[in-house]
Amino acid sequence: MNVTIANEGPKTVVTLSGRLDTTNADQFQNDIAPLFECENPDFEIDCTDMQYTSSQGLRMFLMLQKSVTARGGKMVMKNMNPQVREVFDITGFSNIITIV
Amino acid sequence: MKKRFEPIVDKCGEIVDYLMSAPYIPDDVSLQFKIRLSVEEAVENVVRYAYDGGIGWLEVGSELEDDGVVLSIELRDAGVAFNPLELPEPDLDATVEDRKIGGLGIFLCKKMMDSVAYRYENGCNILTMRKNIA
Repeated sequence: MNVTIANEGPKTVVTLSGRLDTTNADQFQNDIAPLFECENPDFEIDCTDMQYTSSQGLRMFLMLQKSVTARGGKMVMKNMNPQVREVFDITGFSNIITIV
Repeated sequence: MKKRFEPIVDKCGEIVDYLMSAPYIPDDVSLQFKIRLSVEEAVENVVRYAYDGGIGWLEVGSELEDDGVVLSIELRDAGVAFNPLELPEPDLDATVEDRKIGGLGIFLCKKMMDSVAYRYENGCNILTMRKNIA
């Protein structure tokens, strides 16, 4: 799992690639820790190359969305592959996270 | 194929990789995704919760049934008797503020497989997951 975080103007673009699973969930949590701290969050999470996520990944996306909502910010996840999208649909995450 | 892992602390990835290495795991991306996710969630559940202190074993196996149409995967452990299928279902309609964190692993496993069954036998938890792979 690779995570890159880049600032593009007021927006923060987070690019995910690889598999997010039990072997790297802790690392992922560390990698995205800065996203829980910044003011005025405006996150675009590019999932083009994220092949897989388990419930451990979902946990982190929900925690991040809760944090963004509490700070009055914005978060969008984009370009999920159909399998990952199905996981978000089945778990109801599609209703609480904006996916484009 | 069948293999016993002991100890199982931090072995979830290795156990999942073992089960996914079976020659009859389908190449289809969507099917493979569903099987991997179900296996990972079920194995993780045992690794995290079955044994106090994480010291114990997990035996995993798989085979084809019904003339190769159905993939059957079995997990067996001697940990605390626990039926994961009785875990409460997540509230899928909750708002983001009210949505509880966690509780999705076994739910996903049930959704992704065609059937998941649990039984307690001779001091062992046995979880059997089946998926039509034809």
